[in-house]
Amino acid sequence: MMTDALTIDKDWKRGFRETILSKLPEGANLNYCLTCGACASGCPASGLHDMDPRKYIRMIALGLDDELYKHPWVWLCSMCKRCTYVCPMNIDISALVYEGRNLWPREERPRGILGSCDMALRNSSGSAMGTPEDEFQFVVEDVLEEVHETQPEWKDLKAPVNKQGAHFFLSQNSREPVTEPEEMVPLWKILHIVGADWTYSTRGWGGENYCMFLAHDDSWKAVTTNTLQSAMDLGCKVYLNTECGHSTFSVWMGQKRFGIKTNLEIAPMVKYYAQWMREGKLNVNPDWNKELKVKFTVQDPCNQIRKSFSDALAEDLRFVVKACVGEDNFVDMVPNRSNNYCCGGGGGYLQCGYNDERIQYGTIKKDQIIATKADYCITPCHNCHDQIHKLSDHFEAGYHTIHLWTLIALSLGILAENERAYLGDDLMEVNLPASTIEEE
Amino acid sequence: MTTKVTGAVLIVGGGIASIQAALDLANSGYYVYMIEKTPSIGGVMSQLDKTFPTNDCSMCIMSPKLVEVGRHLNIELVTLANIEDIRGEEGNFEVDVFQKARYVDMTKCIACGACAEKCPKKVDDEYNMNLVKRKAIYVPYPQAVPLKYAIDAKNCIKLTKGKCGNCEKNCPAGAINYEDTDKRFTLTVGSIIFSTGFKTYDPSGKLPYFYDNNPDVVTSIEFERLLSASGPNKGHLIRISDHVEPKKIAWLQCVGSRDTNTCKNSHCSSVCCMYAIKQAIIAKEHEPSLECTIFYMDMRTHGKGFENCYNEAREKYGIKFSRIRVHSVYPGSGEEKGQVIHYMDEDSGKPVEERFDIVVLSVGMEIPDEVKALSDKTGIDLTPNGFCKTDSFDPVSTTRKGIYVCGAFQGPKDIPQSVIEAGSAAMKAGAALTGSRNTLTKKIVTPVEIPVSGQRPRVGVFVCHCGINIGSVINVPAVRDYAKTLPFVEYVADNLYSCSQDTQDNITRLIKEQNLNRIIVAACTPRTHDPLFQETLMNAGVNKYLFEMVNIRNHGSWVHKDFPVESTEKAKDLVRMAVAKVVQAEPLQEAELSIDQNALVIGGGISGMAAAKALSSQGYHVTIAEREARLGGNANSLYKTAKGESIKDGLEKMVAEVKNDTRIDVCLNTEIDHVEGFVGSFDTTLKTTDKTETIRHGVAIIATGAAESKPTEYLYGRDKRVITGLELDKRMREGDAGLKTLKTAVFIQCVGSREPARPYCSRICCTHSVASALHLKEINPDMKIFILYRDIRTYGEKENLYQEARGKGVIFIRYDVNNKPKVTSSEDSLFVEVDDHILKRPIKISADLLNLASAIVPYRDERLAQFFKVPMNDDGFFVEAHVKLAPSDFATDGVFMCGLSHYPKPIDESIAQAQAAASSATRLLSQKTINTSGTIAVSNIAYCTSCGVCVSICPYNAPSFIVEGRNAGKAEINPVLCKGCGACVASCRSGALHLKGFEESQIMAMIDAA
Repeated sequence: MMTDALTIDKDWKRGFRETILSKLPEGANLNYCLTCGACASGCPASGLHDMDPRKYIRMIALGLDDELYKHPWVWLCSMCKRCTYVCPMNIDISALVYEGRNLWPREERPRGILGSCDMALRNSSGSAMGTPEDEFQFVVEDVLEEVHETQPEWKDLKAPVNKQGAHFFLSQNSREPVTEPEEMVPLWKILHIVGADWTYSTRGWGGENYCMFLAHDDSWKAVTTNTLQSAMDLGCKVYLNTECGHSTFSVWMGQKRFGIKTNLEIAPMVKYYAQWMREGKLNVNPDWNKELKVKFTVQDPCNQIRKSFSDALAEDLRFVVKACVGEDNFVDMVPNRSNNYCCGGGGGYLQCGYNDERIQYGTIKKDQIIATKADYCITPCHNCHDQIHKLSDHFEAGYHTIHLWTLIALSLGILAENERAYLGDDLMEVNLPASTIEEE
Repeated sequence: MTTKVTGAVLIVGGGIASIQAALDLANSGYYVYMIEKTPSIGGVMSQLDKTFPTNDCSMCIMSPKLVEVGRHLNIELVTLANIEDIRGEEGNFEVDVFQKARYVDMTKCIACGACAEKCPKKVDDEYNMNLVKRKAIYVPYPQAVPLKYAIDAKNCIKLTKGKCGNCEKNCPAGAINYEDTDKRFTLTVGSIIFSTGFKTYDPSGKLPYFYDNNPDVVTSIEFERLLSASGPNKGHLIRISDHVEPKKIAWLQCVGSRDTNTCKNSHCSSVCCMYAIKQAIIAKEHEPSLECTIFYMDMRTHGKGFENCYNEAREKYGIKFSRIRVHSVYPGSGEEKGQVIHYMDEDSGKPVEERFDIVVLSVGMEIPDEVKALSDKTGIDLTPNGFCKTDSFDPVSTTRKGIYVCGAFQGPKDIPQSVIEAGSAAMKAGAALTGSRNTLTKKIVTPVEIPVSGQRPRVGVFVCHCGINIGSVINVPAVRDYAKTLPFVEYVADNLYSCSQDTQDNITRLIKEQNLNRIIVAACTPRTHDPLFQETLMNAGVNKYLFEMVNIRNHGSWVHKDFPVESTEKAKDLVRMAVAKVVQAEPLQEAELSIDQNALVIGGGISGMAAAKALSSQGYHVTIAEREARLGGNANSLYKTAKGESIKDGLEKMVAEVKNDTRIDVCLNTEIDHVEGFVGSFDTTLKTTDKTETIRHGVAIIATGAAESKPTEYLYGRDKRVITGLELDKRMREGDAGLKTLKTAVFIQCVGSREPARPYCSRICCTHSVASALHLKEINPDMKIFILYRDIRTYGEKENLYQEARGKGVIFIRYDVNNKPKVTSSEDSLFVEVDDHILKRPIKISADLLNLASAIVPYRDERLAQFFKVPMNDDGFFVEAHVKLAPSDFATDGVFMCGLSHYPKPIDESIAQAQAAASSATRLLSQKTINTSGTIAVSNIAYCTSCGVCVSICPYNAPSFIVEGRNAGKAEINPVLCKGCGACVASCRSGALHLKGFEESQIMAMIDAA
């Protein structure tokens, strides 16, 4: 720790503080800090690089700009807003961190994040992995064709692209088309069963936004505008975000933040799963787990619950999961819902290069999951999925990590063998579709 | 030309503030209606286990007041009722009342409880915070007033479904009336007092507290019930989920206070720090091995005796104080139960995880929505926090003329402050109606005393359990049965609470039925309860001196709590001695004194003037004696109140009013030279430079104030840029242009306060410095301002100033008392060095002004204390008769206090206390006469040898030599002056003096019996 005396005299300047006070609404409430420490007490990044949210605020308040310049901690904070959730003064610490990332020259920001953002900006597809429009369309059509061939009962399955006038515009995280295309299929099946009128688009299909993590407003705005405009151009009513927390948040918040004019409803996937179930369109059956009693827990993605759609969505999530696995086989983590701990996958953590810190950050999450004794952690978010999966591997924690679509499809008896990449051996052959069994 | 006013006052609410206001008014000649929404009065104080800082049993100190209200001829309780509208204006209000049906005839109900016993319907018990069940027909608590059952119509099977009827079948008094109906009626009153109290913040649904469906996270008011002997576990402290005794308990402060995010309560609730300390101490007393941790932001122990209590909690009780707001609580996993708390450890700066068996949420105060709605409807303005809006110079008047406010509705506050305001509100409400004083009140008729002389003593002994205060240690039935074996004892009984109204009525009945002529109550202390039981005797027609109280609580169960067998034996011994004494007791008569209707107020500051104005408004003549050449005291230097009102304007108005008041005489440059006399007729000699004058007065109010201490550190007196708070105020008051040019100002708090040499907190300095910082920001928004503090104590709604100051960029840095700031100077600048409490690194501030928030010190006027025989505490402040319930009275009759001489306080609180002191004085003055005690010394002249020892030894000048006649030269006692202390009796070498009620034969009988 530095012990140099901080001298406050005529020349005392607090440039970063001034920036925040002038730029952020209400100065993010920065001035109101009571130094109570509630933020630091509940932050998984507390202690990393000898920093915590309270210290960070204090350094801004006291004008320690030199030390804040290019401070690595801003990448170790996942901007999950668990601090703000209880802050008695409602200080938007994530906004301060966002500005802290801006104290890094753009080109010096973590390469993983920077590269992904720039990639998305270079492509009208918006894909952070650089998959262009036509390639995406090719993959979708190719996968669909394969389903038609190998799963005859799904010969009517559709994966519309650029369908004018569709009700739902569905975004797609790049990970599936690029590295595990069969993971797209369970969601298509679900949408088919409920009779949803939906479409992908080629332009702006990429359901991710690393520019938000990069804390570069213009870039964030460009990516969000591109995808929203694409949905509007297709005449869609609902911008339906795939199971991805940060991407949902980037569009939902980006629209507000940048004042993008649209009549689109920006909705998370889980809300519609729950709605379709309540409407009787998605009749999942938990009987497959009656005897097995496989235990499940869920991760509440910060971006979708605490930061945007709040506890109502957390209830939807539980409603869906319990319907799939049986009430008794669901175990909640504590704390949960809007007070859930971030897993350490948010804020660009997975791409920022601070891997040791990310694992340390995730220790709480790993312990939380272990405490539930659940066999599976359901993550309706790509970054949660990736991080929680990695935590299990790293700590040899033994639990599996799955998307919600996998579970829904499993409970509907429509999850094909090749769509079970993330399931453990215990569920590899459970509730297989009838056709698969006949073939054998 | 004056319109006729109604000599009745309506009080909305039934808590301690309402009770105090009602008693003040009813005892000053006004008829009082008390409107209470529940079936009985008592409010939150009745739910508390103990009260801080003295840890007095709450019910024990409150019960005599409850009984007094319940019995008072001129207080009418309107229970299960609320106000629908208020029409008319000051002097003549028409109040529309809605009263819910009770379904029990109060005139018939004998509170035997047969109904509740047979009632099959169990419902949540609100009095016990729903921790247990009560029946659908119920009394809220055993000492409730009125002690009459009520049917909870929503839950009664008969009233909802037409079936059951058990209570009616089992009621021996025929009191059940299912046909009872809700009523609407209108009351006509002259003034109205809103003392509606508060509700506690409800943490339900707030995820970070994990309070829902988790029995081991409780609110502080629930915990209060868990600690209480009358609570769900009879005071046995357990973890509710599994009834295991807890090893570790945590308190989380500021739950629902100082928080504008998870709730909308920006105010500090003022009382939670102290009640958490109190609860932790009580919990430790239950189980000394218990580990108690209080997680807090700022420790706010700003009241009289509070800082001592805080120090004791740390040093004597080993309670841990962790300065951190914890993020969340949640149940831990695994075999071992417990609530997990993650927090940043203050010392190590590292995140820590700790498990606790019970977590107590120190919930704050809020104003209930229905009170806000009623205020809105009746034209009473509220503050943004929902409290009643008042002016600092008129702290209990609402924005509607004729309607007053006191207690927590006026702002978050503790019991003493509520009681003070109650007195203040009573004074204001009564003053508006002096023309109709005694027009609507009924006269008390005491039964004719039954002569007992020559009759064989028939002693009744009543032994009290005092809940578990006594009963948990002493075998009460054994003491009772033992008493029955004693000579002359004709009747014995034991009671759960002897002071409850039903027991009192029962004792009166038994005295008559059993023809008892001597009574013993073995219970608590006669200091608080003597008058209550004496009144009970009087109601039965028995002379009140035929009574003895045996203190088996303070002298028994409390001091010998680990020795139940021995303390039971001691109780028997004490009872035996008391019986031996009481059988020899004779009825005593009391002398009647007329009360001089003039008052003296000592001190002409804000408090003294407010007291004088208040007394004058009640129609009494007042003399103000002020030692300075002008009125106003400290207020002559002060700039603005915390609410932003100009003190100069307020003071000028007040001085003008006092000077123009024909009933107020102002004596400036005046010292008190000598005081003689006693309540009702004091003769005080006032001395000015050129003359002395003796005035007669019936009462005296001490308002001598206090001063800002002169600091001895931080370069004060050596560098003129270092000034005190008062000096800065003067500069702001004078519009000093130099302030605008300041670049950097630093404030240091607790200069001379909260240190071993002066351990108390000066209460007002945090608010004052924060307000001053804001004034400086107003003068120059670019000024850099730092406030170096130990705990910011902007209690109540003053917290909003603290928030505003932070918002405007004032930087607050906390220092440790063991590592105080260092101040140096050069010609150009002052330098203040301090370690930042968060970054733990030194900061050196170059400043051009250093303001020292210097302690408030009392004058320690020993002479004055001697004159009026009033005590001072170690700090030099005057000591009130009772910390909680008589905060403006002295134990000495006829003498009252207010303002800074009692304890540091801001202007609004000083004025409220001045008015409360005036209210107490009015209560006395309005009676015109009082009775002196019957226990006084008398002289048997035949034995007197005229030695004069008694004359010289008496502190009250009661003995004197007879001047003329046959007995000239012999000593006689003036019964009015005698306090019954017995000093003369003990000193009389010829046995001429004896003390009535403590006759030698009685004392010898006690010794023989011992």
